[in-house]
Amino acid sequence: MELAALQQASDQPRGRLSELVERLVYPFRRGEPPEPRPATGFYTDTTVCIGCKACEVACKQWNQLPSDGFIWSGNSYDNTSELSATTWRHVKFIEQFGEGSSAERGSMDVTVSDHNRWLMMSDVCKHCLAAPCHQACPTGAIIHNEFENVYIQADICNGCSCCVAACPFGVITRSNMGGHSHKCTLCYDRQRDGLEPACAKACPTQSIHFGPLDELREMAHNRVEELHRRGVPEAYLYGDVASDTYSELHSFYLLVDRPSVYGLPDNPFNPWLHMMGDYVRSVAGGLAAIGALLVVVVLLRS
Amino acid sequence: MNLPVTKAPAWHGTIAWDALLNGMATGLFMAGGVSELAAPAIFTPVAIVAYPVALVLLLIDLGLLVSDLGDPLRFHHMLRIFKPRSPMSVGTWCLSIFSLPLTAAAGLSLLSEIGINFEWARILAVIVGLPFGFGSAAYKGVLLSTNAQPGWRDARWMGGYLTNSAILIGCAELLLLSALIGRAQATAILRTAFIVLLVINTIPLGLLFADLQPTHARLYTHGQQWLVGVLMFAAATIIPLGLALYSDSFPFVVGAVIFLLFGSWVIRFVYVKIPHTSLI
Repeated sequence: MELAALQQASDQPRGRLSELVERLVYPFRRGEPPEPRPATGFYTDTTVCIGCKACEVACKQWNQLPSDGFIWSGNSYDNTSELSATTWRHVKFIEQFGEGSSAERGSMDVTVSDHNRWLMMSDVCKHCLAAPCHQACPTGAIIHNEFENVYIQADICNGCSCCVAACPFGVITRSNMGGHSHKCTLCYDRQRDGLEPACAKACPTQSIHFGPLDELREMAHNRVEELHRRGVPEAYLYGDVASDTYSELHSFYLLVDRPSVYGLPDNPFNPWLHMMGDYVRSVAGGLAAIGALLVVVVLLRS
Repeated sequence: MNLPVTKAPAWHGTIAWDALLNGMATGLFMAGGVSELAAPAIFTPVAIVAYPVALVLLLIDLGLLVSDLGDPLRFHHMLRIFKPRSPMSVGTWCLSIFSLPLTAAAGLSLLSEIGINFEWARILAVIVGLPFGFGSAAYKGVLLSTNAQPGWRDARWMGGYLTNSAILIGCAELLLLSALIGRAQATAILRTAFIVLLVINTIPLGLLFADLQPTHARLYTHGQQWLVGVLMFAAATIIPLGLALYSDSFPFVVGAVIFLLFGSWVIRFVYVKIPHTSLI
């Protein structure tokens, strides 16, 4: 079809008052929530990542994210440094050369092979099932969409940064341009059109898998068993199941060293586990003071 | 070493001032309200001065809160939902609702000054405002402790301290206003209350300090830890207590209140800055 033949739609020009009213009313409008769909996510097998950064490029390209400039970080081949409001995929490079034995490195749960190696991992939002960012968000901008992915509605976010403070993985960042928080959408727009996320599509080694979570978990468990059979006993899954202090992640990883080696928290903790107790202490502190004031006033008023 | 991977939010010195002004506004309203309801004959003349002052403090505080947003023109987006699990949502609703009876109480107080007296309406506004003022004071510490930031996440008594401190600060402000307008009986009672509250406040402050001891140990040298501890307790407790106990004369009251406010600001500033200075 010719472009000119497509129906053109644009907002009518508005006056200042009309613009102001629209701005005030708009966030209170509610649309129909979409029907729930099977939960999807990422399973990232770090053992086959080659650090090509195709995922980073594909993410930037599809989501039209601006360049962050270029600096030599001095950290291996990682010049991206971290996830940010404009970098939603980040390939980490961990060099383990001449660091001594696993015992000397302080390895706890897994036995690390003592030969020199280079670990690579494509990091992204974990799309937590019980996401602290989602719990913290006071505007309702952060939602679980119909695919159970954690999604920021950019037109609602007001940049309060509660999500930034809440995320134990340091994923969400407030942008200097516009002042709103941004992170991986798990290519919501592509999923709605039946496509896989750009990063998974671009990954040449199938390190990044996308699909329904049940299938991903089965695939990941089979891979761990296979690695164990092939002499990689340290392989394990990070975030595929809930722990005592954190929910399962809808973007989980196959790792071969401690989480902290990859820049992940060893024991992620959901801050909301403390919230009720903190409220109780807060109210108790206030009531104690009011009670004391009241007693003094009543005793001394006559 | 398990290095933190969190990102510090863009909350800096503004939030320290916000935490102080929040305590000053809500505390003054609550201290004035509770005192007036318990002994109206003694405290009404002080309370009708306190409510407009509390409103001004709250307006400044709200200005700081809004300006600290990434997109201040979207402040009202906070009011599109009420989310009990989000301390910021709870706080926003409490502050928004609290501002209404506070404005009414302040306006009616000013009207009473020019002879138009709707005392029953003012008292009603105070009664309606008290629970929301309390909520506005109580959410702040929980907001800071319910997140993943190094230091803050361990501060179980942050809320307990800040809420308790808000009432103490409110009592101090009321004492100052009472002394300023020359209400001797109210001043005497509030001075006693101030001393009692100062002593009580050392409990949540001590517990908060203990919560954050591991953080202090990582952030500061042994000498700096002592300095921070002494500065906090001296400025916020010991000096105001000493001044209040020593004399009930006006300069000593002013000195005690100034030291309390300064110490309270130092505590808030040190703790708000923790994620930005953390070396953990």
